[in-house]
Amino acid sequence: MDYAIDIKEQEALVRMSGRLTFNDHAKLRALIKEMSQNAVKRQILDLASLEFVDSAGIGMLLIAREELSNLDKQFILRKAGGQVKRVLTVAQLGKLITIEE
Amino acid sequence: MVFAWSRKKAEAVGQGSVVTSVRLEPEAPSAVDPSDFDYTLLGQWIGFADLQRHTMEVLRGEIERTSELVEDSTLDLSRRFRELAETAREQTHRVDEIVAMARFVEIDGAKVPLDELVTNMQEIIGEMIANIVNLSMKAMSMVYLLDDVQKDVTELEKSISDIDGINRQTNFLALNATIEASRAGEAGRTFAVVANEVRNLSKTTSALAQRMRDKITAVVNGVRQGHDILRTIANTDMSPQMLAKERVDKTMDSLVDQTNHFKDVLEGTAASSGELSTVIGRMVTGMQFQDLTKQRLEHVADSMTVMSGGLEDLVSRTRAVIPAHVEIPFPQEWIDQLLGRYTLTEMRQRFVRRLLLEGTALDEHGILDLSNEPTQSSSGGDVELF
Repeated sequence: MDYAIDIKEQEALVRMSGRLTFNDHAKLRALIKEMSQNAVKRQILDLASLEFVDSAGIGMLLIAREELSNLDKQFILRKAGGQVKRVLTVAQLGKLITIEE
Repeated sequence: MVFAWSRKKAEAVGQGSVVTSVRLEPEAPSAVDPSDFDYTLLGQWIGFADLQRHTMEVLRGEIERTSELVEDSTLDLSRRFRELAETAREQTHRVDEIVAMARFVEIDGAKVPLDELVTNMQEIIGEMIANIVNLSMKAMSMVYLLDDVQKDVTELEKSISDIDGINRQTNFLALNATIEASRAGEAGRTFAVVANEVRNLSKTTSALAQRMRDKITAVVNGVRQGHDILRTIANTDMSPQMLAKERVDKTMDSLVDQTNHFKDVLEGTAASSGELSTVIGRMVTGMQFQDLTKQRLEHVADSMTVMSGGLEDLVSRTRAVIPAHVEIPFPQEWIDQLLGRYTLTEMRQRFVRRLLLEGTALDEHGILDLSNEPTQSSSGGDVELF
């Protein structure tokens, strides 16, 4: 998995690509730290280029949501497709995290 | 004579009422001189009237036979139709039972509606997935925590090493102090005791550091092993199991759809069977035409009996008044015509048999091949025989 952060005035846009699996746990922790420390309130994770997510990946997204929520920051998942979208749907992640098309 | 007969025949055929309307007054022949009167026509009439009478009897028999046949067949048909209606009703009942069962599944003796069952199962799977998601999150939190613990433990190991370094230095200083104290002689004696105590303290500290290192090493090993196990757990991808819900949902939906389809089809079948019973009921009612037919045919047969009686009466009265020498011709051509029309062999035979019982020669037609039939003793001329 790779990611790139684009911090704008109102929001931070994170473009994630590749496969998000357990092996990326250190990288994701670094990302959570970056999202926690930047100044903007809205943290948007663009999943359009993400091909695959495993159950550990789902767990890590929930950790990100929890940590950002503790900092009173918004966490939004956007443009999920394919397997990622299916897993998000089946896991009913929409109940916990804002999911946008 | 043949020509005259044909002409009269044509007249009789053309006007059905000619023969039956003939009314011969018994006094009539006495009013005419027998020598002047041509009795040929009356003779022919008697021959024809006899044939007509026999034909009517045969036809009456045929009508009765037909009526019986229709009655028997109708009763048989009605019975079969009633059976059919009963079968259709049973079928409706059975199909209704299946329709009632189709929507339910029996679980531990309790009837559970299929859609409720599907919803329950989907909820169970939903909960399972929620648990997987929750566990994944907890496992990852744990992984992060143990990552931190490992860092802390590494630092702890480093601290113990630092203690060892300090201890070595202390021990070295104490040793130097002891040497310096022995050089000072009596004056350094007290100082030598202190230096010795410092060395002992250093040894004790070293032993403590060693015990700490041992314990820390055990903790570090435990944490590392736990971390590895946790990684293995967290690294087990459960997303295929989560996605299995999609397939289960589809299967369940198909199952419900299919059951509903079956139910619709079966309900259609039950409705058709119901209609079938109704239609068959109407058909059985429709069979009552046979009663009316029977009554009408009885009327026809009765009328023929009356007509036949009238003819017989007229023939005997005519015979009484014509001279004995008058020939009563056999109406061969009429018989030929009649037999020519009977295409049913069975009916033809009955007709011929009836005529033969009256002793008429008919064998020339070659239509009767019955050995025990009464023999034709004389040919056409015998009035009594025909």
